[in-house]
Amino acid sequence: MGFLAPWFLAGIAAVGLPVWIHLLKRHKTDPRLFPSLMFFEKREMSSVKHRRLEYLLLFALRAAMLILLALLFANPFIRRDAAAVDGRKALVIAVDRSFSMRAADHLSKAKDEARSLISALKPGDRAQIVALGGTVQALTQLISDPAELRAAVESIQQSDSRASFGELSRYVRTLSESMHLPLEVHLASDLQKSALPPGFADLRLDPSTTLVFHPIGRPVPNFAVENVVAPRRIFDPKKVRVQATIASFAGPDDKLESVKKNVSLVLNGKVQQTKTVDIAPGGRAQAEFLGLDAPYGFSKGEVRVDGGDILPADDRFFFAVERADPRKVLFVDDGRHPRAQLYYRAALESSGDAQFQLEIARPDVAANQQLSNDAFVVLNDIGTVPASLEDALKKYVNAGGSVLVVLGPASAAQVRVPLADESVETASYAGREGDRFLNVSELDAGHPALRSVERFSGVKFYQAIHVTPAKSRVLARLNDGTPLVLERTLGEGKVLVFTSTFDNVTNDLPLHASWVPFVERSAAYLAGSGAEQPVNLIVDSYVELRTADNKSAAAEVLDPDGKRLLSLEEATSARNFAVDKEGFFELKTASGRHTLLAVHADRRESDLAAIPQETLDLWRATGGEPGASGPQGTSTDKKPWPLWPWLLLLLLLVAMAESLVADRHLRPAASPETARKEAA
Amino acid sequence: MLQRFLDPKVLGGISGLDLVAKTVVDGFVAGLHRSPDFGFSQEFAEYRAYAPGDDLRHVDWNVFARTEKMFLKRYRGETNCQLTILLDMSRSMQFGSQGMEKIEYARFLAACLAYLAHGQRDAAGIVIFDDEVRNFVPPSTRQGQLARILHAIESAKIGTRTQFENPFRHVQEFMRRRGIVVTISDFWDSPEKIIKTVAPLRFRGTELVLFHLLDPEELHPKLNAPALLEDLETGETLEVSPDYAAHEYPAKIQAHIADIKSRAQGAGIDYFLIDTSRPLDGALREYLAIRRGKL
Repeated sequence: MGFLAPWFLAGIAAVGLPVWIHLLKRHKTDPRLFPSLMFFEKREMSSVKHRRLEYLLLFALRAAMLILLALLFANPFIRRDAAAVDGRKALVIAVDRSFSMRAADHLSKAKDEARSLISALKPGDRAQIVALGGTVQALTQLISDPAELRAAVESIQQSDSRASFGELSRYVRTLSESMHLPLEVHLASDLQKSALPPGFADLRLDPSTTLVFHPIGRPVPNFAVENVVAPRRIFDPKKVRVQATIASFAGPDDKLESVKKNVSLVLNGKVQQTKTVDIAPGGRAQAEFLGLDAPYGFSKGEVRVDGGDILPADDRFFFAVERADPRKVLFVDDGRHPRAQLYYRAALESSGDAQFQLEIARPDVAANQQLSNDAFVVLNDIGTVPASLEDALKKYVNAGGSVLVVLGPASAAQVRVPLADESVETASYAGREGDRFLNVSELDAGHPALRSVERFSGVKFYQAIHVTPAKSRVLARLNDGTPLVLERTLGEGKVLVFTSTFDNVTNDLPLHASWVPFVERSAAYLAGSGAEQPVNLIVDSYVELRTADNKSAAAEVLDPDGKRLLSLEEATSARNFAVDKEGFFELKTASGRHTLLAVHADRRESDLAAIPQETLDLWRATGGEPGASGPQGTSTDKKPWPLWPWLLLLLLLVAMAESLVADRHLRPAASPETARKEAA
Repeated sequence: MLQRFLDPKVLGGISGLDLVAKTVVDGFVAGLHRSPDFGFSQEFAEYRAYAPGDDLRHVDWNVFARTEKMFLKRYRGETNCQLTILLDMSRSMQFGSQGMEKIEYARFLAACLAYLAHGQRDAAGIVIFDDEVRNFVPPSTRQGQLARILHAIESAKIGTRTQFENPFRHVQEFMRRRGIVVTISDFWDSPEKIIKTVAPLRFRGTELVLFHLLDPEELHPKLNAPALLEDLETGETLEVSPDYAAHEYPAKIQAHIADIKSRAQGAGIDYFLIDTSRPLDGALREYLAIRRGKL
């Protein structure tokens, strides 16, 4: 027996208080004077003796209360043999149902193991069935009813999640600590190496827990489509490039020969292209498909590799694409910057997905155009912007549109930057003679529009319009402090300002490698595609259904089988949901956007390599040894058993007894009238 | 209204014993005048044949004129009586729960009786005793007798324990003529012994009155918890439970009172139980009733 907080035992000194009250103070009681005691007889002492007994009992109870209170704070414990706590066994039967268990009949074998364990249970033994996937799901409590346990095993369904042995260990630790029971954990699994947590400490088990492995299957070679890179949107089917990575996960006794595999590109159930790749054992091969003849709208894409392995489920990889028309970019120019048009068009059209189509317009023409269909508008140093165009642009931006304002010599004469409404101070010049030029010194590399511009490395700026930023955020500055790129949010839209030109006159940016990424990124940012969530997801990923702004609108999700996943309440209130299986999910977010999601299992599940025996032994050694006894078993089998619940119960009982005795002892005597009434 | 002045608690606030007695008795007598039952002023009582030596002032000359015989006309108020007050000053009389000790009440009662007797021109005397006679003022009608009695009452000190044998033997020795003997005590002794001690006085024609003074607490002791009681006279201690004090003790004290009362009645002795929380008029009324009826 020991104490976790022995200093609290000093509180036992408080027992002196009832001693003082009951024994010392008692002797100071003054006798009460009475004229004569001739009618008080000796025999009447019995009642006093009775009360004296009560008095002593009261003293004992109060002293016991104080002692129990001090002991309670000292938190005593005894070391008990863990097995002696409960002579019966408590089993946790974990059945792995992760994606890799789709291999052959692994799941049914694991269930058979679980059933045999249930059959071996003795009367009084208790067991719990848990299903192991991305999370640990307890299917029963610790029960001793074999029929219920068997029913729980039968109910285990295959999942596409990735197994996590770290989660299993954490669950078992929690269970052991809360139940104060020695547990015998049986794991029926393919014991995939990839299911181990990053840190071995996460596998730690309670010392009273015994781990028993029931390996299912054996490591065999497996081929899988590991990854597919496909554009999210297709604007020009001929330019589409789909890349697939085929991986070979070799078994321990594999032949060291490469294997030819046919890889097919399937769109909406139709095979479009097939390629053959050579895959070395344990290696990877790339298959690239050019062109994807997708119809307008969403299409269900799939890359397949020839089957013949143990796990056919990973021989295909889903992806979703959307065919759309290129979006129009209105380039407003007064004709004084032909080279700027040239450079910008070239950069925009060099993009692989041909997302944008450039349309040139003069300011007076642009003022009369419908801007709402444009992805964004570029004002290329047009000097004075016609009032009608500026009004139209303001409405366009406030409604969610975007404008790129390019400043140049024509803008230097203006007082304010159009739309951004910033004052134009002057033009910063740097002479061409003597290599006098300006560079970019500060740049927000995390901004979506400037993410791949390599800090405009090597670009020389000879002239920039000095704008004083009052309402805008500066994204990049030149080394003389002149803002180069500014951004201002206006209503629902945004305005990006570039304070130098796009021709090869006031800077040499169009001649540098950072030009095309800048145009591409800024165009994508202005067109609003950067905020979209991905459409190709891993199982157990979360998909956002709504933002805080659209609370009341309903969202809808259809699973690969066409079933609605959301209840009516979830449809109007859920912020996100988890995709839990492979396939295509149709999603309608609360904002009204329709999306096709392609969900695939985590490809780490395809690697069927098992955990080495040494690692399994180490894992098992973190818990107790099955049937361990003697000196080795003493340290693990003995565990501190806290006594505070029993002390607390005892304290409550003593407190109740003290209340009863004190009530009887200190209750005022009934008056003669009351006594007479009671007698009557 | 006047009853208020007889309240023991009120009397306790009056400093002088003579003033207390005067307040009580004057108020009491004034109250009696309104009641025909208790009138006792110079009423004609009897005729008696003249004997040589009698005061000629009391001869009824009207009767002599008609009958030529001399008769003395006697009035009740003129009948002399000898009042002896026996005041118990034992330690048990020191008890009091109502703001006034029994001894104070007894002092007031004795003073009032002496004052009343003095007003009636009765000879009054007092014996202060506990287990022995501590002070003795012989009955007399002399000038200053009342002052002597009151002084004896006031100067009396609490003694030890009650012992009736010696004081009563002493009283028997000096009692030469009939009179009234009033004993004021709490009578904490066996009824048999008390009556046996006081009864011999009765044989000589003396009227005996026992004023039994008891505090309300003695009649119905109130205990909220077991208490250690100490006997005032013997110093003996005993733990007493509230249950006993509430049920058995009152029955025993009532039996004790009833025993004294029945034995006193059997011996021709007047017995009067006085609760010290009650006014003094009951005791005075008792005295006057006896005096009127017995003379």
